[in-house]
Amino acid sequence: MRQSYGLPAPIDLSIRLYTLLLAAYPGRFRAEYGHHMAQVFRDVCRRDYRRRGLAGMTLLWARTSLDLLRTALEEHIERGIEMNREKFIRWSGWALMAGAVLFAVGLIIGSFDSFDMDPIGGVDAFYEITQAVGLTLGQVLFVFGLLGLRTGYTGRSRSLGARLLLLAVISSIVSFGGLLAMSSIEAAWQIWAAGFLAMTLTLAVFGIVAVRRRVFSRWNFAPILAGVGVPLLFGVGTVGVGTVSGTAPEWASLVAVVLTAFGLSVVGYRMQAEASRTAVTT
Amino acid sequence: MAEVAQSPESFLPLTQAVFHILLALADGEKHGYAVMQEIEDATEGRVQMGPGTLYGSIKRMLAAGLIEESDDRPDPTLDDERRRYYRQTGLGRKVLREEAERMAELMALARRKHVWSGAGSRSILT
Repeated sequence: MRQSYGLPAPIDLSIRLYTLLLAAYPGRFRAEYGHHMAQVFRDVCRRDYRRRGLAGMTLLWARTSLDLLRTALEEHIERGIEMNREKFIRWSGWALMAGAVLFAVGLIIGSFDSFDMDPIGGVDAFYEITQAVGLTLGQVLFVFGLLGLRTGYTGRSRSLGARLLLLAVISSIVSFGGLLAMSSIEAAWQIWAAGFLAMTLTLAVFGIVAVRRRVFSRWNFAPILAGVGVPLLFGVGTVGVGTVSGTAPEWASLVAVVLTAFGLSVVGYRMQAEASRTAVTT
Repeated sequence: MAEVAQSPESFLPLTQAVFHILLALADGEKHGYAVMQEIEDATEGRVQMGPGTLYGSIKRMLAAGLIEESDDRPDPTLDDERRRYYRQTGLGRKVLREEAERMAELMALARRKHVWSGAGSRSILT
């Protein structure tokens, strides 16, 4: 970039100075476009010097300084936003994975509780507390994870996918509200179950969108896995609050829970693996 | 990067820089300086884009799938092979057409309201 090719001194000096000033841009942008910007500047320098001499160069520098200041600031702001988005998507991917594990562990360990509806405590306290903590923390992480999923993948899944993910986020918040109200409102269990059912159902439909539009770079079927188990279980029977199974067969409940947790984990894994790409492209 | 599939309408209205770059690439692929030159010529010097604006816009347009890099060189012996050439994508063409239609509708509205007669116009962007 420092070849002078016998250029007049004002042009040579200008190019050297502009090349130095390119340091004002973020590193990634500079690495990608710095050489081309310097090349364009060199061409414009030659043209303006040929046409109007030093007066032309002065005008060019006045324009270029403003352009450099404004666009360097824009690129830094954009890079900052990208970094924040990238971090948010990556962390929400981890949240979805952790939430899936807590959800599965909570429900499976909770299923060993021999008295479904008794208050927390007594001989089954460990199972009950594990279930309450697992489900509540898991649900908080689902809300965070689904928000990240929506942030990262709205552009690729278009308006239908974006609406489905918004519905999934709202449903997960409703479900969380139900969990929090368990000790005070009788219908809280139904609120939790309805919210969770809506969350998984919308995820399953989002999975169809993901497969059709290749929303993730691979494993686009994962949201279907995450979303299909619970609605199927609700379809064939009802899932109990205190046990995994309710009136559905024990093995079917276990399969549904494992399937949901596995699907959500895979979605979370894809999110954190693709975070840098999705933060830029959406 | 061009995998982001958005409807052409979602890009509107375009910024002045993006509109001019798309317009400059309407009749074939060009490198950065040629795009800049074309814009200045077409607007009789009223729009002068700096390298930062040009390449900042190009970066965003590549990410949005409006333009793409071209491997072809008009004549490699006459040109610096490190120059990058850009061309419109199908989406870029649609977006440019939609924007031109949107502007035409605005002009028609201005004419109906007797704000603008359409005669002796300089540029719809000024």
